[in-house]
Amino acid sequence: MECNEVMHALILFIDNEIEDTIQVQTFQSHFEECLQCLTEMEHERQVLSRMKSLLADECCEQAPADLQNRIAAQTALLASQMFSPTQIITEYRRTETTFNGETHIEIETTHEIRRDFPLS
Amino acid sequence: MLRERKEFILAVALFPMTSEIEIKTPAQLLATETVIERTARFERDAMQYTNQLYAAALRYTRDPHNAQDLVQDTYAKAFTSFHQFEPGTNLKAWLYRILTTTFINTYRKDQRRPLISDGEVEDWQLAASASHTSDQGKSAEDEVLENLPDGDVKRALQEIPEEFRLAVFYADVEGYSYKEIAEILGIPSGTVMSRLHRGRKLLRTLLTDYAKNRGFGGSNGV
Repeated sequence: MECNEVMHALILFIDNEIEDTIQVQTFQSHFEECLQCLTEMEHERQVLSRMKSLLADECCEQAPADLQNRIAAQTALLASQMFSPTQIITEYRRTETTFNGETHIEIETTHEIRRDFPLS
Repeated sequence: MLRERKEFILAVALFPMTSEIEIKTPAQLLATETVIERTARFERDAMQYTNQLYAAALRYTRDPHNAQDLVQDTYAKAFTSFHQFEPGTNLKAWLYRILTTTFINTYRKDQRRPLISDGEVEDWQLAASASHTSDQGKSAEDEVLENLPDGDVKRALQEIPEEFRLAVFYADVEGYSYKEIAEILGIPSGTVMSRLHRGRKLLRTLLTDYAKNRGFGGSNGV
């Protein structure tokens, strides 16, 4: 393996993105032979690890409490909209009254609207 | 033969029904339970990532107000499509994917910006790096990185173009592999590599520039 090939693919080596173990070994044997590439690799690895720790320290903002509340309220609202559609239960009552040979029929209708309200 | 088959079907149909009736009350059978269960699962599993999503959203929008809206919209989309999430797979990465599509569809719609061709970047950038750095350059860079004041890295990250910024964030803050980043950003793995490579270079160049402006660090650059 030539130096320029190693340098070209250095990012893959440092990021552990080379899956082929034989290829990884090829890199490693090059580093054993070539001090310049080894130094370069170690420098890159060190810089990257320093950058990673700086980034991790600074890019870890906490979500404001208000945002958490907004999301919770939104989830509750969306959940209530997902509930089974409103049920309407209709009841008929038929009353027949016969008085003096005259039949009186009364039909009574009631509607009951049922809806689930899920979350407090 | 026909009769045997009939009995078989009957048996299969009966058992799950019996067990369901034993566990659930009639009210719960009205698909009501599913919503409650889903909500509980969502609150338990997805809500723990609000901080990480907010930190990621800040990398997309670069201002706290829009970042909050982006996170809220992401959670709305995630909840309504939570049934599509495959349990056992990476939930945080799934949320990041939704964050990305929400950002593209909502927040970036009206912002016309030049798109950098990744092929181009890959060729010249990788060629430019394919040489050894001088020892002087190395120690100058080490010096810069060891003496960075608070906030410099964050500021530099916010300054580099979006596509590079996001690749760097997912790789170097979140520790995702190229393949995972490719899925989150909806781009090929090779593109992830070139964006990441370029992004890191840009970041390092900016950090050296900041140091130089303060009259600190070597003149060799990075």
